[in-house]
Amino acid sequence: MSFKVIKSSFLSTVQDYGRLTHGEHGMSQSGVMDEHAYAWANHLLDNHFNKAAVEITFGGLQLESQVDTFIAVTGADLDFRINDKSAQMWHGLQIHKGDVLSWGNPKSGVRAYLAVKGGFDAPVLFDSRSINLRENIGAKLAQGDELSCRSFDTATYRFIPSKYIPNYNQDITLRLLPTYQFNEFSVNQRDLFFNQNYTITNANDRTGCRLSGAPIAIKKERMISEGISYGSVEIATDGLPIILLKDAPSIGGYPKIGTVFSLDLAKLAQRQPNTKLRFELMNMHEAQKKRKKFNEFFEISF
Amino acid sequence: MHNIISAGESAILIYFGDKIDASLPEKIGNFANQLKNTLSDVVIDVIPSYTSLHVSYDLNKISFQAFFDKVEGLLNQQDSNGLVLESKTTHIPVYYGNEVGLDLERLLAEKNLDLNTYVDIHTSQEYLIYAIGFSPVFAFLGEVDERIQAPRLATPRIKIPAGSVGIAESQTAIYPTDSSGGWNIIGRTLLDLSLDNPDNIDKFRVSDKVKFYAVTRDEYIKNGGEL
Repeated sequence: MSFKVIKSSFLSTVQDYGRLTHGEHGMSQSGVMDEHAYAWANHLLDNHFNKAAVEITFGGLQLESQVDTFIAVTGADLDFRINDKSAQMWHGLQIHKGDVLSWGNPKSGVRAYLAVKGGFDAPVLFDSRSINLRENIGAKLAQGDELSCRSFDTATYRFIPSKYIPNYNQDITLRLLPTYQFNEFSVNQRDLFFNQNYTITNANDRTGCRLSGAPIAIKKERMISEGISYGSVEIATDGLPIILLKDAPSIGGYPKIGTVFSLDLAKLAQRQPNTKLRFELMNMHEAQKKRKKFNEFFEISF
Repeated sequence: MHNIISAGESAILIYFGDKIDASLPEKIGNFANQLKNTLSDVVIDVIPSYTSLHVSYDLNKISFQAFFDKVEGLLNQQDSNGLVLESKTTHIPVYYGNEVGLDLERLLAEKNLDLNTYVDIHTSQEYLIYAIGFSPVFAFLGEVDERIQAPRLATPRIKIPAGSVGIAESQTAIYPTDSSGGWNIIGRTLLDLSLDNPDNIDKFRVSDKVKFYAVTRDEYIKNGGEL
C-alpha cells in the first residue's frame, strides 16, 4: 500500500527528525528543515514524533493514493489540493484509494509537510529515514516512486489552535546564543552584526542560508576545523553570515559568531529570498526552557 | 589544559589544545569514548576534530550547567581510567599515475622530484587521522612530508572521481565518492569507501592510522581500475 508519485517536483524528499548520532562519522544531521510544521503534522495524526514525512519544497508534486488512510499537510501554503479541489491544511484528512494530492505554486512559505497516519515506511539508512542528497543518501522523489504506508479506516485527530499556525510572510528576528567565537568578535563587529537588517539571498538551501548586508571586517579568516552545531552562524571570508542548516558538513573552519535558537530556524526554513532578517541575543537558560517545553508538548525524546 | 564552551542550546565544544598536534587525536578519541560510556544516558553524539571535541546532549534530561559540570569533572579525573582504544592501521592500495593523478605531472615538475621519489615519500609514513568530515568517510590525514606539500587549487574541480587521493597543504585524504573539491590529485585507489557498503561508516576513526602503498598500472587495471 502506498502513495504513487504521478508528477515529481523541484525537490521533494522523505525526512524524519534527523540522523542525530553519526556526526562522529562525518555525516550531517539531516532531517526536516521546519521542525515546527513537521511536529504538528505528526501530532495532528497522533503519530510518534519521529515518523517520516514528505518535505515538499516550492510545490509541483502530485501523488495518487493507493490506500485508504489519513493525512495531515502543514507548513508552506503551496496551493494544496485533493482531486483538484482546494484542501484544508493543518488538519487531519481522510483519504481514499484513487485520490490525487497535488501541490502547485507557493502562496506563502517554502516547505510543506505531508504526514500520513503511521508514517511513511521508507528505508532506514544509518538510523534515520532522512534523505541527504549532498551525501548521496537516498534520492529525491521521482515519477513512478511509491511511498509505502499502512491503511487505516479510523483515526482520532488532534486539532491545532489557530494562533499556532504561523504567518510565513513576516520579516524575522532570529534569536542567537553567544557560542563558539562570539567573544573573539570585537564590540564594533558585534554591533554591526546585531544592528543591521540582513537579506536572505538565493543561496539558501538545506545546507545553509547565505545572507547579504554590510560586511564585517574580519582579521582571522580561517581557523582549525571544529564540530558544527545546527544553526551556527559562520562569518565567511567576505564578512557576511552563512547560517548552517540540516545538511551542512559536520565540521568547518570559519569563525562562528553564535548559534541560532532551533525553533527560530523552523521559521527561517519558510522564508523566501529577499526576506529581511535581524539577529538578537538570547541566553542559554531561556533557549533550553523554551525548547524543553516544545519537546514535552510534542513528546520528542531520545 | 581544557577549555569548554557552549556550541548551542544542546551542544558544547571541548578544546584540548590550540594548535594541531599529533598527540591530540588519541586524547580526544579516548575522551569521546569515555564520555559516551559514562554519560550514555545524556550524550547524543560526539564529533572529534583536530584540537576539539563537539558533544551534543539531551536537554530534556540535563541542563547546560549540569552537563558542563559533569564533563569538567570527567576531564579532571581523565588519564587514569580512560578506556583506551587500540589504534588500527588501514592499508590503502594506490595507483600513482598521470591518467588518474590529475595533478601529478605538474607537482613533480614544481617539486623537482621523479615519480618514484614522490611515491616513496607519500607511502613511507603512517598518517594519523585528525578528523572525519566534509562528507562521510572523508578522513583528514597528516602530516604530509614538506617535500610534497602543495596548496589547494585556486579553482576547485567540479568532479573528482571516487577513490582519488589528494594533497592539500600538510594534509592528505581519499575522496570516498565522486565530489567537487580543490585538493591536488596524485593517484587513485580501487578500495570502495562509499556508503554503498554501509560498513564503511566505521572504516576510519579519529586517532587511527592510514598507510598507502603503490600498485602498478597493470595491477590497477587487472582489478578493474579505469584510466
